[in-house]
Amino acid sequence: MTLIDLVRKNLFRKRLRTILTLVAIFVAFVIFGVLATFQNAINAGVEVAGADRLITVNRINFTLPMPLAYATRVAAVPGVARVAHAEWFGGYFQEPRNFLVAFAVDPKNYLDIYPEYIVPPAQREAFLRDKTSILVGKSVAEQFGWKAGDRLPLKSNIYTQKNGSDTWDFTIAGIVAGNEARVDTSFVMFHYQYLADTRSFGDGTTGWMILKTTDAKENARVMREVDALFANSAFETETKTEQAFNKAFAEQLGDLGFIVTMIVGAAFATILLIVGNTMMLTVRERTNEIAVMKTIGFTTQRIFGLVLGESMLLALIGGLLGIAFAWLISFAMAGPLSRFGPIAFSWDTAATAFVLMAVLGLLTGLIPAIRAMNTDIVTALGRK
Amino acid sequence: MGRTLTQIGTVTAMNLRSLPQRKWTSLATVVAIALVTGVLLAFLAMANGFQATVAGTGASDVMIAMRKGSESEINSTLMREQVLLLQEAPGLAKASDGKPLMSPELYVIVDGIKKSSGLKANLPLRGLGPLANEVRRGITIVSGRMFQPGTNELVVGRAVSKQFRGFELGAKMRLASQNWVVVGEFDAGGTVFESEIWADVAVLQGLYQRGSTVQTVRARMTDPANLEKIRAFSEADPRLKLDVKSEKDFYAGQSRNIGDLILYLGWPLAIAMSFGALAGALNTMFASVDARTREIATLRAIGFRGTPAFIGTMVESLILAAIGGLVGAVGTYLLFDGLSAATLGGNFTQVVFSLKLSWSLVLQGLILALVIGVAGGVFPAWRAARVPLLAAFKEQ
Amino acid sequence: MSAPLILLKGVTKSYTRGKQTVPIFERLDMTIPTQDFVAIMGPSGSGKTTLLNLLGGIDKPSGGEIVFDGKRMDNLDESRLAGFRAGNVGFIFQFYNLMPMLTASQNVELPLLLTKLGPKARGDRVKTALEIVGLSDRARHKPSELSGGQQQRVAIARAIVSDPKLLLCDEPTGDLDRETAGEILSMLQTLNRDLGKTIVMVTHDPEAARFAKRTLHLDKGHFSEKDLAA
Repeated sequence: MTLIDLVRKNLFRKRLRTILTLVAIFVAFVIFGVLATFQNAINAGVEVAGADRLITVNRINFTLPMPLAYATRVAAVPGVARVAHAEWFGGYFQEPRNFLVAFAVDPKNYLDIYPEYIVPPAQREAFLRDKTSILVGKSVAEQFGWKAGDRLPLKSNIYTQKNGSDTWDFTIAGIVAGNEARVDTSFVMFHYQYLADTRSFGDGTTGWMILKTTDAKENARVMREVDALFANSAFETETKTEQAFNKAFAEQLGDLGFIVTMIVGAAFATILLIVGNTMMLTVRERTNEIAVMKTIGFTTQRIFGLVLGESMLLALIGGLLGIAFAWLISFAMAGPLSRFGPIAFSWDTAATAFVLMAVLGLLTGLIPAIRAMNTDIVTALGRK
Repeated sequence: MGRTLTQIGTVTAMNLRSLPQRKWTSLATVVAIALVTGVLLAFLAMANGFQATVAGTGASDVMIAMRKGSESEINSTLMREQVLLLQEAPGLAKASDGKPLMSPELYVIVDGIKKSSGLKANLPLRGLGPLANEVRRGITIVSGRMFQPGTNELVVGRAVSKQFRGFELGAKMRLASQNWVVVGEFDAGGTVFESEIWADVAVLQGLYQRGSTVQTVRARMTDPANLEKIRAFSEADPRLKLDVKSEKDFYAGQSRNIGDLILYLGWPLAIAMSFGALAGALNTMFASVDARTREIATLRAIGFRGTPAFIGTMVESLILAAIGGLVGAVGTYLLFDGLSAATLGGNFTQVVFSLKLSWSLVLQGLILALVIGVAGGVFPAWRAARVPLLAAFKEQ
Repeated sequence: MSAPLILLKGVTKSYTRGKQTVPIFERLDMTIPTQDFVAIMGPSGSGKTTLLNLLGGIDKPSGGEIVFDGKRMDNLDESRLAGFRAGNVGFIFQFYNLMPMLTASQNVELPLLLTKLGPKARGDRVKTALEIVGLSDRARHKPSELSGGQQQRVAIARAIVSDPKLLLCDEPTGDLDRETAGEILSMLQTLNRDLGKTIVMVTHDPEAARFAKRTLHLDKGHFSEKDLAA
């Protein structure tokens, strides 16, 4: 037996009470783990954004178009290494509820600018060669069970074809994976030219441009010069870093950070009370034993350590189980919630959880430990 | 029977009188239950507020026509020819000059800066046809005036000027290299329209190079039942084939997804948190029974039955839960009721809504609290009812 | 008579209850020689337990000196006193005060957790202590599975496991039947005689006191005359 065994044995004396308290801690950490994972998914775009990538959109709002010719003019701005453009297709598969994030892009430049999208070389070649081919993001492919070579008819909730048809036929050229888990792959992309040649309106316009600068230090100047090019035209532009753009985009959903903080705060306030209260009850019940241990020669510091160790162990067991469960849930979330972003449990979340466990253990154990430490042997044993 | 009641009364009173001895543990349980109730009610109030705003928008006697499959106004495009054809549709209300009460509208998105975050967010800029005022009812200008057709004038909904920067009366702004001015602010009875900016459709068509196309057409019907006739009319003409809905159904459909999402988040969260509060309640009530073991056993020894001990404990648990539930409800009301929030609505634009608590929501919150109280009380109460008589004589 | 293990010189002790000061001892002198076995008797409130507390380093005197094995201990600080208790004193209580979640052998091992002994050495000591009290076959039982007499024997094993010079017993047989009490008291006698433990035992029971080498009668904070003569 060691002092740690003593702590462990103490913890599981009132088994029902300890299990109930563990459940409370477990739940709070599951809530934390799941919400943090969800929040990470939404913010993933901000985190993986390339430091040397800029987004140019219509100044009025990014949903409005801009002339395709802008791409050539922007490419000439010093400090711009590469330009790609893309357009929102409003795509869906068979029914509107099978909504897809579909982009009509300038294929070669687009893939070059986003090195985090990994496409096998043969599939990449096939995609670039065939104007009516399409690349499917891994999470979409998994969701629908699509693979390279499949025929894929897509409809648009914005465009119709000149010939009156509302369906575009594609061949899946390949699957796009991310180079790390945080990279969102819940999209499909195809040739802008295919859309431009067939749609009934929108001639000569595209949605937005992605600029790769020669150096992130050039960003500020490039942003200024690009927007100056089109000032006072019918299509004024606004250029931002990809990170700023993604951040504003994520914020549109609402102040998610605030809501998550509130919920996690409430959950932790609850367990702080419950665990603290349980520890307090425990110490009160053990007053006599604590006095005996002091009599035997346990110092006040040791008694303090034993009680604090118990609350720490409690927080650690409940917390680790909760985080492990949240980690499992993250796999279940990955499918249905992938449209919000790449769902992946991160080490950061685990590290934060660990800090929270330590804080919880400390806060809930502190007052009971002090109380235990100050137990007066003479009074507690009724020896007067 | 009467004696049992007396016994129950006596034991319950003893339970409650001894509460102050356990004030900290009882308080912890009350606060834990209050927090759980509060989280649930905040979500329910959010879902309720959002639904009240979106589902409350639109009239059943106004029809809205969009391109098939477009799902939302922002995606739709209608040609001038289609608008003209629609004017011939049956069942439309007419103006005194015989023209149908119809408003062809443009719907584009502009950036607004949220006062709360300082970040840009999508705001809808709607171009209204000349008869729009006759089509939509319940709109009142609360300050300034309506825009003059053919000018670069804007009116903004109340929610826009409240939540976003730079939309106060007289504010000037630049859209597509032209200067605009806000000339009025309107109230739309707390509907989605209050999150919109309005201008003249013809001016916007020019500005955004839309030629003569619009995005949607709204028209007033003489009777809500006419919708079917109009739909049949649209289906019959291959040049039309539009999605025709009542404005009311259109917004109801839009509110469903996000309202449900909030609801589906709120309940599981609250239930998960309930387990935490339940653990607290159980610990507290077991402690309460343990502390009174000798007292209960003594009562048993002098002839009291087990039932009063059971009920006394249950009542204590329920009272703690009820107080927790009430504190949670009052707290939510004070902190969140009427709080403005905004999220992306079905049109990919911001919908501003207020959190709204109602009696039926408060009732749901209280039920959750009482369920925790019952679950947290029943096992300890069972233990109380079975306290062995010998416990009265035991050394403690 | 051998050298004194404990010397009390002019010890004064009083408690404050509210605004009142309640005196327990005034200038109490006492000598306990090594290997003594002394029973202390006296009515309730005579200061028996307070005396035991002072001897065991649980409580501090208000004045005077307490010398243990040639060293003053009344002026030690809290943590030194804890060390003193761990190293020199074994306590035996009326209600045994065993840890309910620990087995008999774990209860006995408890004081050894405060020493630098390794697991092996601790195990050996625990085994020996349980052998001395005749409970080797109950080593893995929890207190709730033992009779009162057996629990008290575990408590005695706990008290002697760290080999202290002094055993302090507070009504050690107060909760036991006559026969079991006899067994426990004989065991204390053996510990005193064979292992050389100095024992101070507080008791109400004249029968129990007869097992001691001598008996002191405490009344109102003073030993009665006949004891001083003895």
